[in-house]
Amino acid sequence: MITLKTTSLFLALAMAFSTVNVAEAQTKKKAIPKSFQRKPAPKVYSDTKNNNARNQIQAAITQFKNGNYQSAANTLYALTKRNDLLAERPQLRLYLGEALMEMNLNQTAAFQFVDLIKSGDGRFTRQAIEKLLIVTDRLGDETLLNYAIQRIDVSSVPNQHREMLYYRLGEIKSANGDFSAAAQSFAKVGPQSRYYFNALYELGLAQAEAKQPELAIGTFKKLLNVRDNAKVTDTNKVAAMMGIARSMYQKKDFEGAIDMYSKIPRDHVMWHDAMFEKSWAMLRAARFRSALSNFQSLHSSYYEDFFIPESLLLRSIVYLYICKYDEIEKVLSLYEKQYGPVQSSIEKFLRTNPASVSYYSEVEKAYIMRKEEDVVKKTTLPLKVVNKISQEGNVRRSLAYIKKVVEERRLIEENPALRSSAVGQYALKILNNRIKGAKDLTGDMVKAHLENMNTELKDLQEQASLIRYEMINGKKETIKKRIAGKDLTDLQVDDKQDRSFYVQNGYEYYPFQGEYWLDEVGNYHYLGKQSCE
Amino acid sequence: MKQIVNMMFVLLFTNLAMAADPVEVPMDELAQESVYPVFDHPQSVKNRNVATKGRLDVGLFGGYALTEPIYDTAKFGVAANYHFSELHSLGALFSQNSTGLSKDGQGLKDNNGLDFNRAPKPKNTMMLDYNWKPYYGKLSLSKLAVINTTIYGSAAAGMVAYEHKSFPAIALGIGERFYFNKSLSLKADLRLFVHQAPIPFFKAKNGTGMTDGSNGTTGTTAPAFEQFEERITYTTNLEVGLNYLF
Repeated sequence: MITLKTTSLFLALAMAFSTVNVAEAQTKKKAIPKSFQRKPAPKVYSDTKNNNARNQIQAAITQFKNGNYQSAANTLYALTKRNDLLAERPQLRLYLGEALMEMNLNQTAAFQFVDLIKSGDGRFTRQAIEKLLIVTDRLGDETLLNYAIQRIDVSSVPNQHREMLYYRLGEIKSANGDFSAAAQSFAKVGPQSRYYFNALYELGLAQAEAKQPELAIGTFKKLLNVRDNAKVTDTNKVAAMMGIARSMYQKKDFEGAIDMYSKIPRDHVMWHDAMFEKSWAMLRAARFRSALSNFQSLHSSYYEDFFIPESLLLRSIVYLYICKYDEIEKVLSLYEKQYGPVQSSIEKFLRTNPASVSYYSEVEKAYIMRKEEDVVKKTTLPLKVVNKISQEGNVRRSLAYIKKVVEERRLIEENPALRSSAVGQYALKILNNRIKGAKDLTGDMVKAHLENMNTELKDLQEQASLIRYEMINGKKETIKKRIAGKDLTDLQVDDKQDRSFYVQNGYEYYPFQGEYWLDEVGNYHYLGKQSCE
Repeated sequence: MKQIVNMMFVLLFTNLAMAADPVEVPMDELAQESVYPVFDHPQSVKNRNVATKGRLDVGLFGGYALTEPIYDTAKFGVAANYHFSELHSLGALFSQNSTGLSKDGQGLKDNNGLDFNRAPKPKNTMMLDYNWKPYYGKLSLSKLAVINTTIYGSAAAGMVAYEHKSFPAIALGIGERFYFNKSLSLKADLRLFVHQAPIPFFKAKNGTGMTDGSNGTTGTTAPAFEQFEERITYTTNLEVGLNYLF
């Protein structure tokens, strides 16, 4: 027991010694983790019985100090396996984790910190949690992040990491539906934090979710102001504008929402969502012609791989409002033609694929196709379905996490010395397990989204039936009025002038003739008139 | 002929433009940006009106040899192209030259006694023609109609037949097609022909001057076609025709 303690002291001293030279080295080399620098420099208690262990520890420290993290990690890993160093194991594990962090082996490092936290050794738990927060933040590993956050006392976390912790806490609370608590956490993230812009956006979102649109608008405007000097397509700026538009819609200020949606730049990915959501606002503001103009873009060939079934039904509802019954028929037929097979395909896939890996494989293909232009992969599910799911927040984060772990594995595999070492083999084992686990988890997420999609399509199908019923009813009423001799306007589907969509380029216009051009998307204008009495 | 076509175009589209009603769209719905929407794999055009891939294109054309000084500059021909993709097509063309002399050639005959009818004249041209079509666009000449167009580069190789023999030839050029609908198009090709050709000016053996051997002032008999010297000849041709995509 005494032996072990003295070895611990030696270890601490060795760490402290390392900081003496670090101060010089920091100006020209990579910084040594602060945890090493914080150690006091106690006296050395030597114990001849532990010479071997002490020498090895000293060797590891020297290697670390010299920036030879690979050798340090190898030595520290070997030391953590020694039964005669049980008391030192938590501390060795902490240093091993730090060495691995320096080598960008974050996932392997995370496991050291988790083991350390699980060991229940209170001496290093706080440090381990702090480090775990950092590596999981780098990895985007939400499971481990939540694990760390649940065990941490915020006040014990150094200031530089506290903002990140508040942000992550806010995310967790938001995900759990506790929007007030989430808003409180996000509000604690200060302007000096790199999470500030995200926190502001999430704060606005939480306020909107908590049915406080006025507050949300204020927060989004604040974000817009702080990003005032950023370029037009800055994502924070655009997200703030979307937030304002959505909050305005929420408080039924439809014209305000339309105005804000119109400001979303066309060359930003959120523009597509803005156009669709603006159509809803236009419908609510009774701007039917304008809504139909948007649908001409949304239902163009450019969106054939987008999953937007609701937009077709929305279009038919607008036609219903303006009594264009023939057009409703066409749109509903298009809906059935497009989304009927999609629903069958989803149901079949859910029925025949119980394993998570099948679901993961589908989104992975979509992910690769999106990233690499020339790659074409055959997906079992329709492309619009896998595209949509692969862009869902949790799936996207999970795919990004897997990519990072795969990258970590590549780092090891491309380094023969590391790959053949004990710590390398150990890391590969961890990483392979993590990759498999993460893929299974992602597969489960995909399956859940697919089930939701299936339910959504069933609901929409019912709505389509209702719209069809209304259409038939409307037609019947029109015929009745005709029989009664009322002079109804005859602007129906066959009137070519009224059906024309015109493309506006600011100076001139010309008729739409079935061909879609990239520069015209979003610039179509419906010129038809309502056909109601 | 070209002037007539131009006038027809102007008249046609002036009328159409005047017939169109003014269209008013609320200012807040007009385009405010000239940037394009972001897609993963953006394509300039989708659902093309004129899809040529896998289709055969057959046409008739008339040509005009812009740099031909001696012989009649007009030619007429047929062409057929198979479009392997929207970018590449390969075909064949045959054109028949008009007989007779150009205005200048006739002047030389009348004024100087040089009868180029007795020198070997080009008869016809037969070539394999490759087209590279990098540009597809559209024109709006009125508020009621849109015309699709393609601009392409052409490279052709084949034979130019003269009265006494044929010469290998190549032709490089650019062209444009204007599609009136999904099948019918007006095409214009500008090609530079390069080939070996006989020099129509024949020098008399006594060195007294140039003669073609006609019954002019020198009174010599007509030389055989083989006696004419040959050289590389460059001729620029403008061809206009109508094509139909099957």
